[in-house]
Amino acid sequence: MSSVAVAPVRRRRLTLARRRQLAGAAFALPAIALVLGFIVVPIGQAVYYSMTRWDGITATWIGPSTWSQAFHNPTLWTALRNNALLLLSVPFALGLPLAIAVLLHQRVAGWRIFRSIYFLPTAISWVVLGLVAQRFFAYQGTLNSLIHFFGFSTTNTNMLGYESTALSALGITFIFTMIGTNTMLFLTGLATLDTSLEEAARIDGAGRWRIFRSITLPHLRRFIQLAFVMTVIALFSALFSLIFVMTGGGPGYATTTMEFLIYQTGFNQGDFGTAALYGLILFVLTAIVGVVQLRLIGSDE
Amino acid sequence: MTTTLEGDERVDLTPPTAPRRRRRTGRVVLFAAMVGVAVVMLYPFWVMIYNSLMTEAQFLAGRGFSLGSWKALSSVIPIGQEVLSSTIICSASIVIILAIGLPAGFAFSKLRFRLSTIIFLVIVSAMMVPLQAILMPEFVNVTKLGLTGGYAGAVLVYAALGTPFSVFLFTTYFRGVPDELIEAGIVDGLGYFGVLWRLVVPIAVPAIATVTVLQFIQIWDDLLVGLLFIQNTSERPITVGLAVLSAGRTTSIPELMAGSIISAVPAMVVYLGFQRYLVKGLTMGIDR
Repeated sequence: MSSVAVAPVRRRRLTLARRRQLAGAAFALPAIALVLGFIVVPIGQAVYYSMTRWDGITATWIGPSTWSQAFHNPTLWTALRNNALLLLSVPFALGLPLAIAVLLHQRVAGWRIFRSIYFLPTAISWVVLGLVAQRFFAYQGTLNSLIHFFGFSTTNTNMLGYESTALSALGITFIFTMIGTNTMLFLTGLATLDTSLEEAARIDGAGRWRIFRSITLPHLRRFIQLAFVMTVIALFSALFSLIFVMTGGGPGYATTTMEFLIYQTGFNQGDFGTAALYGLILFVLTAIVGVVQLRLIGSDE
Repeated sequence: MTTTLEGDERVDLTPPTAPRRRRRTGRVVLFAAMVGVAVVMLYPFWVMIYNSLMTEAQFLAGRGFSLGSWKALSSVIPIGQEVLSSTIICSASIVIILAIGLPAGFAFSKLRFRLSTIIFLVIVSAMMVPLQAILMPEFVNVTKLGLTGGYAGAVLVYAALGTPFSVFLFTTYFRGVPDELIEAGIVDGLGYFGVLWRLVVPIAVPAIATVTVLQFIQIWDDLLVGLLFIQNTSERPITVGLAVLSAGRTTSIPELMAGSIISAVPAMVVYLGFQRYLVKGLTMGIDR
């Protein structure tokens, strides 16, 4: 009797589960299609086109030798070196926001207003911030006015105009553009810190620095990791606007990073095949950062 | 872990003695440091406003102020048209990102199907792929489909780039929704689409706000997609207009700065109005 009664119920259950799965697949389908069509498939295409001579219309197969040729191109190494040098700005793009977040966390009078002010430049396009940075570094710009104000009236800089200094100017601008986002992350992290811990440490006689080192910093670890990954990713893939507006990659190739080299190779030189190849190199670089991130997150669980 | 930016005002219980006076001077130093940082962070606004209040001649001479550049602005760049283009591109992309990401997030969290875990991982990994890495095939594909003639190409590229994050955020968000709610809806005969529309969407409002704000700022401020995937100059978004203008040889800096202010205002309004949603979105990976 019972076995007879159970069978239809189980059957109905199965169809219910099946219906749920079908609904799930249907709901997910548009997202899958869009990501496949616009992100996954192009990666595959890039692999193919990287081994061709391609002007955007016709592609002639050449083979893997394009890769060894590409690595003989000194411009590629210049771009990679520029990316590597720009990594030197990452400690500043993390350290300054950390200091600012700790400052805000002291909650002195008007800290909410200061918080909004500090975050405000984050809303502005990097195109606009690039234009402003150009005004800052220009020959008749703010930087020289400041230098003159402090008494060095014969010193004049033109950082964007020289190969030796343009990349530093770009790095400084990058640090500025990252301050808002990273400060916001760290401030959020600090807000989750249990104040009674700090209080207890203070009662035990720990100094400010000691409290920061032993309580605040370890607590912020995941936030610092997240900020680190976001900053490095931005460094590899979000500088385009700044470079386009500030230097156009120059002088020479002094501020040409990988992402800008891809754009130049493809759209200024019309060499789509090599540009696709450079794109894959950038893809590998960001993938490495992604794997590092996964390992960092994974190490916690 | 819930995070909030609203400060808990702390009660100072220390007796008014010497340490307290030391603390007061400490506060003054802190305040001065905060003002210093504020000056640096307000610098871009000062540059934009100050330089926009001059004519080209006054700018070159380094003195004098006028509204000349503001009056001439619309004859230099079609600023109204560009703001409109930016608005259309932004809204269309965000609508697609939400309409595609929300059901997918619901599916990946509550309506698991065969291979759904691995597909979810692929989509989330796509978040890490920068457009520049696939720029050439993407450009040729979209051009061959004939989508660069209007807004469609740019909108689809933005939608595709924004979807992985949107799926990730909605999936994470819906994991916190009890299964019983969904089951109750099904038992009541709503059907899966009814459950999605009547039960899931209403509780997803904070996540919708987060995706909208983050994507708005991202897309409004972007240059690359607008530069390459929109062929007609009459359909250019504002960032492209400014960047192209600045690349010209005879560009008037004051007019450029006036245009910059116009492009910055909408994003700033959104930013200040929805700050807390932004913070939530940024720390999504941590807030579990």
